[in-house]
Amino acid sequence: MTLSVTDVNAGFGGSTVLRNVSLAVDPGKVVTVVGPSGTGKTTLLRLLATFRRPDDGTVAWDGDDIWAMADDERLGIRRQVSMVFQEPSLFNAPVHRNVSYGLRVREPWQARLRRSFGELVGSSRPADTVVSALETVGLVESVDQNALSLSGGEAQRVAFARALAVDPAVMLLDEPTSNLDPHNTALLENAIERARDRGVGVVVATHDMHQAKRISDRMAFLHDGELVETGPPEQLFEDPTDARTARFLDGELLVGDRERSRVPQSPTADP
Amino acid sequence: MIPLQAQLPDGGWTYVVSIVAVSLYVSLTAVGLSTLFSLPVALGIGFTDFRGKRLVTAVVNTGMGFPSVVVGLVVLILLSNSGPLGSLDLAFTPRAMILSQFILATPVLLSVSLSAVEGVDQSVRDAAYAMGGTRVDVGLAVIKEARFGIVTAILAGFGRAISEVGSILIVGGNIVYSDGQSYTRTLTTAITVEARQGRYEVGLVLGVILLALVLAVNGLGSWLRNQGRGERSV
Repeated sequence: MTLSVTDVNAGFGGSTVLRNVSLAVDPGKVVTVVGPSGTGKTTLLRLLATFRRPDDGTVAWDGDDIWAMADDERLGIRRQVSMVFQEPSLFNAPVHRNVSYGLRVREPWQARLRRSFGELVGSSRPADTVVSALETVGLVESVDQNALSLSGGEAQRVAFARALAVDPAVMLLDEPTSNLDPHNTALLENAIERARDRGVGVVVATHDMHQAKRISDRMAFLHDGELVETGPPEQLFEDPTDARTARFLDGELLVGDRERSRVPQSPTADP
Repeated sequence: MIPLQAQLPDGGWTYVVSIVAVSLYVSLTAVGLSTLFSLPVALGIGFTDFRGKRLVTAVVNTGMGFPSVVVGLVVLILLSNSGPLGSLDLAFTPRAMILSQFILATPVLLSVSLSAVEGVDQSVRDAAYAMGGTRVDVGLAVIKEARFGIVTAILAGFGRAISEVGSILIVGGNIVYSDGQSYTRTLTTAITVEARQGRYEVGLVLGVILLALVLAVNGLGSWLRNQGRGERSV
């Protein structure tokens, strides 16, 4: 099951954020999307998660245009894709309720009502998948804690567990380790690798080039809304075909560097 | 001094009990219906950007100050025999009172719940959608996040309804049966009658009951908010 975008354009209020971007997420592969801030990484992930239609181009599931599908069919596809946001976006509820949210919305209404009634009259045990997802991120002891009382790093791990608990075919992760210390970063990277080994297709938007190198099967370098180059990490790091990729990976191409990036600069040209 | 029991109209304490029952029936039904109407509308207005949204919000906020006698007059005209809804035969019935209290409570409920819904971060909607929620699931997630504000909205709507006198006096007619049982007489309209007839003690008793009811409902709301704070939402 391959999730892909083909020649998509997307913008906000007249300005174009993504231009003719094509990218495919194959099962059992990790694709990292790298590039300076404000370059369209989050917009690309939101297109893949069908938050919005592209202005042009197609978002497809196994080659079928998702936006040409009926609502029910599109919902079925959406439920095979989960996303973790840059901000953890947790509900004001205990951790286990956050992690089980995706499982609960997938239940038929009768089952949901029955379960809600059961929870009202007696206590309920979190589902095994919820506990197992929390074990993966090392937070099983926080199962009953309110999610809003967690630290930034813990919240990010709960958000990851929530995305993992629904056993998705594709995971979209927007800066999933930005709030994490090295230990927990390694924990999440291991979880990503285990998901990949189970056949999950993973897209990770990241600023961390070391992480991209560690976990990628393929890297995609996005700059100024354009997909400049894709390929295995070794190729991008060692033999990039585009000068902008080389400059970015050398740490020279930064935010607001759009125009200068196209023209080689002499050392004295910069103030 | 004349004992209170002797001052009570025909029916004695059953008169008082029936008045309380009618008051609660009319106001709770009106607020219940208004909640069912206001929450989806608040979600609709809160979730969508459309031309004239600020105007709609301003109209809703203005509606909180609707003079109740004007609402009563308009409802009575609509429901009177010669009015467009005259065939429903609702004038001077508890249902007419429910309708007028619904009209009065809705702007309050809508306005407070709208600001509660708009106060919920966009990230909650995003998370509910990204985890496979339907439009209804996303709406429910927002309602649950905004639950404290929504409880406040319902309490404010109930406060507006139960303490209102002008419109229900006009559309309900303040009717009691000959055995002293209330048909359309509520605590507020009964107080006006008792005051006019000089039975101040009875009026004061009814006033204390009204205050106690409002206090009890607010107490329940505060308890719910405290119970719910930090407990499960979604």
